[in-house]
Amino acid sequence: MVDLSLRNIRKAYADLEVLHGIDLDIKSGEFIVFVGPSGCGKSTLLRSIAGLESITSGDLVIDGERMNAVAPSKRGISMVFQSYALYPHMTVYENMAFGLRIAGMPKAEIDTRVRRAAGILQLDKYLQRQPKALSGGQRQRVAIGRAIVRNPRVFLFDEPLSNLDAALRVATRIEIAKLKQSMPDVTMIYVTHDQVEAMTLADRIVVFKDGYVEQMGTPTELYRKPANLFVAQFIGSPAMNILKGKIIDRSGEVARCQLDCGLLLDIEEGQGRLSKGETISIGIRPENTRTTGEDASDPAFSGTIDLVEHLGDVQILYVDLSGHGEKFLVKADGESALARGQNIRFTPRRQDIHIFDAAGAVVACRVLPPT
Amino acid sequence: MSVSHHPRETERTDFVAVLAKTCLVTFLISLGFVVLYPLFWMATNGFKTNAEIFGNPFALPSGFSIANYISAWNQGIRNYIATSVIVTLGSAVCTVLVSAWTAYGLTRSKLPGKPFFVGIVLGGLMLSPTVAVIPLVRMMQDLGLYNTYWALIILYTAFRIPFTTFLIRAYMLGLPRDLDEAAIMDGASEGQIFWRVTLPLCKPILVSCVILHVLFAWNEYLFAMIFTSGADLQTLPVGLTSIMAKHGTNYAIVFAAMTLSALPIVITFFAAQRFFIRGLAEGIGK
Repeated sequence: MVDLSLRNIRKAYADLEVLHGIDLDIKSGEFIVFVGPSGCGKSTLLRSIAGLESITSGDLVIDGERMNAVAPSKRGISMVFQSYALYPHMTVYENMAFGLRIAGMPKAEIDTRVRRAAGILQLDKYLQRQPKALSGGQRQRVAIGRAIVRNPRVFLFDEPLSNLDAALRVATRIEIAKLKQSMPDVTMIYVTHDQVEAMTLADRIVVFKDGYVEQMGTPTELYRKPANLFVAQFIGSPAMNILKGKIIDRSGEVARCQLDCGLLLDIEEGQGRLSKGETISIGIRPENTRTTGEDASDPAFSGTIDLVEHLGDVQILYVDLSGHGEKFLVKADGESALARGQNIRFTPRRQDIHIFDAAGAVVACRVLPPT
Repeated sequence: MSVSHHPRETERTDFVAVLAKTCLVTFLISLGFVVLYPLFWMATNGFKTNAEIFGNPFALPSGFSIANYISAWNQGIRNYIATSVIVTLGSAVCTVLVSAWTAYGLTRSKLPGKPFFVGIVLGGLMLSPTVAVIPLVRMMQDLGLYNTYWALIILYTAFRIPFTTFLIRAYMLGLPRDLDEAAIMDGASEGQIFWRVTLPLCKPILVSCVILHVLFAWNEYLFAMIFTSGADLQTLPVGLTSIMAKHGTNYAIVFAAMTLSALPIVITFFAAQRFFIRGLAEGIGK
């Protein structure tokens, strides 16, 4: 059982700062996923927690103890690497036992732990094989087994599934989820750039960009209430549509916005953040639009279908809206008879429209029914 | 879409390909002959008498008597081989271990100014042994190591470290850092990472380095001649010169002695050539 705190963590390579004061509190037993685009600092932060990278300033506290200067092996942390990092000249058994042998553990205890971990991960049959004789998924399980045998307080995963093919990735993801269920007290921190992994595994997700934390929250919070444009577009697949607009009038708590595509929206906003003349962005998820059974109280868009992607149960429509440079994506029922060149009318639900100010921060407001 | 070739054009292409292949095979066979024939000639002449050698030097021997070989063996070759084995193996082990440690430091440590130290080590490649002979003789005399096995073992080690370090360093640069980091997470010290993770993974290049060192030390003449005296401490190259001086007119025994001296090295090389090629290729490729 361990609480892990990061206090104003900064990491710099010479003059280049890559982590700019990260503050995080992770509760014991939580499954935290660090997510973000390449180069956002998520792996650097993970490696700093592990002790493989030094922390330039700030405090890493595990269970009330400052760990900045503590050796990696003494932090009670195990790490699973992206490349598995199995010792190729050792058997599976030796790989899993290596750390315990280094620690001087009695042979009988090592044997018990290795066999127990092998049992959990269904590696019993492969203990005498070398890593080169295993498949990618089996190697990943050995890497996880090597981490388990040390009974760590914190598990770190650095993009563990990125070297696996699509089918194996799903299977291993489920195994990791089950592993977490079987070890409810162990804190896990998992780095990925795959938002599906993040959404399916995490208790809480931390979204990184350029060395800053953009938002931290449960998968549902991030999906439903993104704090800014970056998170809104990063979480969700296909990405949220963003339309530009301008506040053309403000009267009391109601601001009137004209989108570039010509549509007018009345927005109720009480904090005065949407003043006349301000440029705003509105975000609409492709899955939050309806092509049939429209509600008169929702704003209606119309455009021409440029491309239809059939995914079986659903189809993704790439729609040209007048005045909007990029394609507007609409997720439609897979059964609908829709074709390229066809004009389409669709309505997003008002409560699913996100409004962002000129700086990209979300604005707490409510879209009013069209008048 | 179908592609059609003119039949005459295809025939011409086939002919050029066959001709090129034939030329290549002929060239390689010739090259093999040039390399192997002198060895074969040396070994067969060891079975001849002196008269046969002078009468018809390129003919096969009339009989395969090993008398010359036995004679050469008993006239000092046995001692020379023993000395060469001790010096070669001793210096090979020292060279490879010291070089591997150095390469590990140069590739894995966070030493400030590392390129400078790499430059110093590799700069040793340019040091000529001939230039250093006189100070080295004085040093060895002062240390009381002159005319001992240690003189040669230390000198061979010192002069081969730069080249061996260069090879092992290139190989280690290609080894994934994740393995070191996994070992760090497992609690291994630098020494444990070196002995238990890095060194076993360097086996192919270590074998290559041992073979290259054996080739060098087995055939080295200058230091062996200067730093040892007396038949009991002379290595094969120096010993062979003594045999040639002693049996200047008996070429059959000289050829037998030369064959015996070359035999261990040829056997070693063929036994380990698979590792040798792999180690060098991987070191270069990464």
